[in-house]
Amino acid sequence: MKKKKRAKTPVNWKKELRLAPGYLILLLWVALTVVLLGWVLMASFSTTKDIFNGNVNKFVFPTGLHFENYAKAWSSQNVSRFFANSLFYSVISCAALVLICAPAAYVLARFTFLGNKLIQTGFVSAMGVPVIMIILPLFVLISKMGILNNEMANRFTMIVLYVGINVPYTTIFLLTFFQNISRAFEEAAAIDGCPPMKTFWVIMLPMAQPGIITVTIFNFINVWNEYFLSLILANSDRLKPVAVGLYGMINSMKYTGDWAGMFAAVIIVFLPTFLLYIFLSEKIIAGVTGGGVKG
Amino acid sequence: MKKNKTMIICFLAPAVILFLLVFLYPIVRTILMSFFKIDGVTDSMDKWTFLGLGNYIELANTSLFKTSMLNLLKIWLFGGIIVMSLGLLFAVIITSGIRFKSFFRAVIYLPNVVSAVALAVMWLQAVYSPQFGLLKTFFNALGLKNLAKIQWLDSDHKFWALLIAYCFGMIGYHMLIFTSGIERIGTEYYEAATIDGASKPKQFVYITFPLLKGVLRTNLTMWSISSVGFFVWSQLFSNVTADNSTITPMVYMYIQMFGAGNTVTERNAGLAAAIGVLLCICVVIIFTILNRLLRDDDIEF
Amino acid sequence: MRKRVLSVALSLTMVAGVFAGTALSASAEGKITYWSMWESTEPQGQAIQEAVDAYSAETGVEVDLQFKGRTGIREGLQAALDAGTEIDLFDEDIDRVNKTWGDYLLDLEEMAAAADYESTAISGLISACREVGGGTLKSIPYQPNVFAFFYNKAIFEEAGVEAVPTTWDEFLDTCQKIQDAGYTPITCDDAYITCMFGYHLGRLIGEEGVTRVVENGEWAEEPAVLQMAQAYEELATKGYFSEMIEGNVWPAGQNTELALGTAAMYLNGSWLPNEVKEMAGDDFQWGCFNYPAVEGGVTGTEAANYGAQVYAINKDSKNPQAAFDLICYITKGEYDQKLSEMSIGIPADTTNGEWPALLADVKPVMDSLSTRFSWAVNCEANANITPVLKENMLKLCGGSITAQEFVDNMEAAS
Repeated sequence: MKKKKRAKTPVNWKKELRLAPGYLILLLWVALTVVLLGWVLMASFSTTKDIFNGNVNKFVFPTGLHFENYAKAWSSQNVSRFFANSLFYSVISCAALVLICAPAAYVLARFTFLGNKLIQTGFVSAMGVPVIMIILPLFVLISKMGILNNEMANRFTMIVLYVGINVPYTTIFLLTFFQNISRAFEEAAAIDGCPPMKTFWVIMLPMAQPGIITVTIFNFINVWNEYFLSLILANSDRLKPVAVGLYGMINSMKYTGDWAGMFAAVIIVFLPTFLLYIFLSEKIIAGVTGGGVKG
Repeated sequence: MKKNKTMIICFLAPAVILFLLVFLYPIVRTILMSFFKIDGVTDSMDKWTFLGLGNYIELANTSLFKTSMLNLLKIWLFGGIIVMSLGLLFAVIITSGIRFKSFFRAVIYLPNVVSAVALAVMWLQAVYSPQFGLLKTFFNALGLKNLAKIQWLDSDHKFWALLIAYCFGMIGYHMLIFTSGIERIGTEYYEAATIDGASKPKQFVYITFPLLKGVLRTNLTMWSISSVGFFVWSQLFSNVTADNSTITPMVYMYIQMFGAGNTVTERNAGLAAAIGVLLCICVVIIFTILNRLLRDDDIEF
Repeated sequence: MRKRVLSVALSLTMVAGVFAGTALSASAEGKITYWSMWESTEPQGQAIQEAVDAYSAETGVEVDLQFKGRTGIREGLQAALDAGTEIDLFDEDIDRVNKTWGDYLLDLEEMAAAADYESTAISGLISACREVGGGTLKSIPYQPNVFAFFYNKAIFEEAGVEAVPTTWDEFLDTCQKIQDAGYTPITCDDAYITCMFGYHLGRLIGEEGVTRVVENGEWAEEPAVLQMAQAYEELATKGYFSEMIEGNVWPAGQNTELALGTAAMYLNGSWLPNEVKEMAGDDFQWGCFNYPAVEGGVTGTEAANYGAQVYAINKDSKNPQAAFDLICYITKGEYDQKLSEMSIGIPADTTNGEWPALLADVKPVMDSLSTRFSWAVNCEANANITPVLKENMLKLCGGSITAQEFVDNMEAAS
């Protein structure tokens, strides 16, 4: 709602003129992106033959638009079930990650104590280890414990792993955002008699909002697109997320040479994440411009 | 700070416990594995053969592995320069008070969300194709016949073709991190600076950049980590069998772990683990250097 | 605000739905688990799903069919077996199943004998399975394939090529005629370029010789390498290769040149017609001939790389007979025929004499074979050398390096 108000402000031509080089650079880049991604979109409505004989490059559709590529991709699998699963995993993991990592990042950024650097280095080095090296031994360990026999437990294990795998990333990411907040806020809160823990939840967390939203977007996309972990652990269609379900289809379309269908499947996977991004990025603006959270 | 002790423990405990739960066992196992000869990653310990530093010595003597490390270094350095400079440039423009800010930001970020599988086919087929690629059409239109004739995907150009395609997708991600960092800087700094008559470039040098050190560090850390894990794009640009010009340590590790594409080759998960350990050390070194170089404890605002 | 309430409500319902579907998994009685290398959406997956459903309906055995895909099986199967996951049967490439996962396989000799399986199976493939299984049958082949030159018959006709080449001289002659008719004689993609090297060197010194060269680095010591490189240099200088060969990243060559009718020949597997059918169209006439014999070589057109996907049974399976019965169900009779039709593949059951029309020309080639080469005549056996070989073969075919430079580069790299 705030945005609409802003849009109504009269155009300040002098200011816009000063920004002209910026507009020019952005527009060029946007044009490039639109051409390249537009190609993907066009390919998804085209036929495999037109992709490879160059017709799509010339923006030509000799046989019209092929919506059946989408129909085929959507109907050939239990896509809505996969979507529900992915949404479930992503939403819960993202929320848990913020609740777990934001306090940790705050403490690591603010206080000097024994082991601080060690924990940070440990987190960073964990990100450097290939995922396969993490998942495969863990998988053997977990399944030997017999945890995966029950669907509910299987689902729970998957979420714990999604969260655990992303803890180092999220924490390291958020460090900077807490480091950059002035200590004056905590001091003022302390004078007002606010206990440090409450200060964090009420004052510091909202101030780190741009960082938290950004990392949540990344986490959401990470979990949404996570492939290897789910492939190994989700041994039933009921548990499979979109990444595993639809990437299987993308692969099969590659093998069978149905390239147009592949692009349609790609668009189906990508749309939800993008819509979510748009939705969340509105919030970044709202969070920064409103709510008295100025630095 | 003493009374903060409980707070430190309460706030850190969940993250650290979860971290140990997920990472401790695999990481210790990986380090151990790197000193053994092991066929499959999940082989039980009684099938391991102790080699000492054998795996590391073998890596040091394998020219293909050295090629892959060199490729990684090139990706990290050149790709880093491209991605960081363009990412920062776009972030600064986007936060400079232009209109349609969220539109621009969304479009620039867009390629990062699209599956790499589709983007790779798009680059190979729409941009680099020697028959009807955009580059060919573009150079032909400009009359640059020599440039139009270049085979962008032959052994001499493939690395750069790959790097550009990869960077295109990554710029949005790093731009977003820069943007959120700049947005943390209060607008009143700029307002004050504008009133004082400071130009935009000056504002960037004296306000934005010093305040961005922390975010730059995060960006460089994340870039280093994603370069070290460079795998999918390399595979998409060289199907089934690896290429000299596009092979990365991760691809080499994969071959050691699961065997080559079509032929069953000797596997050594211990060697793969050694690569994992080396990559991990690289990341830690970079992180430590970045922390030294880009300290921001002097920043208070 | 309303939008937000709606979205929260929506996600809550979805979450509830996910939990509502939770149930304990069924016990293992009368149940087998099959991990498949296919995807549920590709023709092979669909045909197998049909066969499995029919099998369950007929026998009452419940089959938990998991489509893991190529990467899923390759990366996840061993970990799952090590972890003791209940997997009764799985499938993958003949070599990987027998060599990489050999320790997990059940010996199938007795069950195969009891079912008289071999009487209607392709004997060459069964013996190949025995060979890689260490002398005993541990896997059952299906979806056979053969690796040979595939060509566009219309171009051959237009160029006046009457018979397919069987010797190198005839091959050169064929290329010349095709070039004169205005077409590109040969194209290839990066993924398959090493196969050309393997086949030519394999013709000269056999598979053992190729293995020796790549594993011991005898590039300069073995004169046949230079001989092979000179033959390819000649092809390149005469312009028989596609101009784009150095830059063709799969599937560019097969899709944009061969299938669209600008190039005539491509050395590839019998899966090729299926992969490019959408581009080639229905009227594309597929021809097939084996890699020609080379003067002074030790192998001729009786040798080629042929193989199959294979089924194998986990040695810890609690219900191996049911698993074997399912294998028979899929690889024999009606469902083998269906699999072959749906995937445009070669049938595994010899009584299914009807090959898909696109592969009609492959049958005589397959029937003429008596010696089996490994993939790419084993020239990819040394993982440290394969990328170098790939790069130098591309350059050799593209005319960027000479035969001597090829040998020198390879020698320097090993």
